Amino acid sequence: MMLEHILVLSAYLFSIGIYGLITSRNMVRALMCLELILNAVNMNFVTFSNFFDNRQLKGDIFAIFVIAIAAAEAAIGLAIVSLIYRNRKSTRINQSNLLNN
Amino acid sequence: MNLSGPIHDFLLVFLGSGLILGGQGVVLFSNPIYSAFSLGLVLVCISLFYLLLNSYFVAAAQLLIYVGAINVLIIFAVMFMNGSDYSKEENLWNIGDAITSIVCTTLFISLISTILDMSWDAIIWTTRSNQILEQDLITNNQQIGVHLSTDFFLPFEFVSIILLVALIGAIVVARQ
Repeated sequence: MMLEHILVLSAYLFSIGIYGLITSRNMVRALMCLELILNAVNMNFVTFSNFFDNRQLKGDIFAIFVIAIAAAEAAIGLAIVSLIYRNRKSTRINQSNLLNN
Repeated sequence: MNLSGPIHDFLLVFLGSGLILGGQGVVLFSNPIYSAFSLGLVLVCISLFYLLLNSYFVAAAQLLIYVGAINVLIIFAVMFMNGSDYSKEENLWNIGDAITSIVCTTLFISLISTILDMSWDAIIWTTRSNQILEQDLITNNQQIGVHLSTDFFLPFEFVSIILLVALIGAIVVARQ
């Protein structure tokens, strides 16, 4: 019962993250929706590790690695977004044509 | 965490509704600072879910890294780049948004039907019977520490190098 509940919640977070990632026009909001997708995957890892692999807990360790990679990704992404904002004075996705000229 | 039945169910429903509303808020708020704060709500709810699932170390790591570092960094970036074009950009609904919402709803419904069709009890019973039945005295946190220092040692070092390189790169890119 609790397993299906958490899996459905994680599927909901994954699909709403994909929706926001495709339709958002702001780069910071796209990064936020990327964090939502990573959190949905992490919830699946921890849930399966708790229910199916109760002795080894390798899903927990993989979730910690995913959290560390997500921290690096957020730092790099926000640095790039602030650089684009400094050059373009905007964070719209469809105006970032820096490689054009 | 071993709670009694009604408290456990109440916490499950409460955290689930908080997560659903927070996920809607990240996508649907027009001001990015509101969606950043509702992302914080979602991350706190996920951390409490990890507490309910008996994995305390991942819950603490989630609360420290996601809420304490990534969400604060996102809020700082939103406040730093507070442009004037936020209010008029989000309220137009074009055909691409409709197609994307249809595709994501289809994905969600197919995932739910797959999850509910699967017979999880048989899988749980099979994996329980395959496991060793001895009861060891090592806790979950000690188990994670043993794994990180023995057979996941090389990925652990690689993750530390990746974090160092990424933070130096972020400082170099953002410094001018």
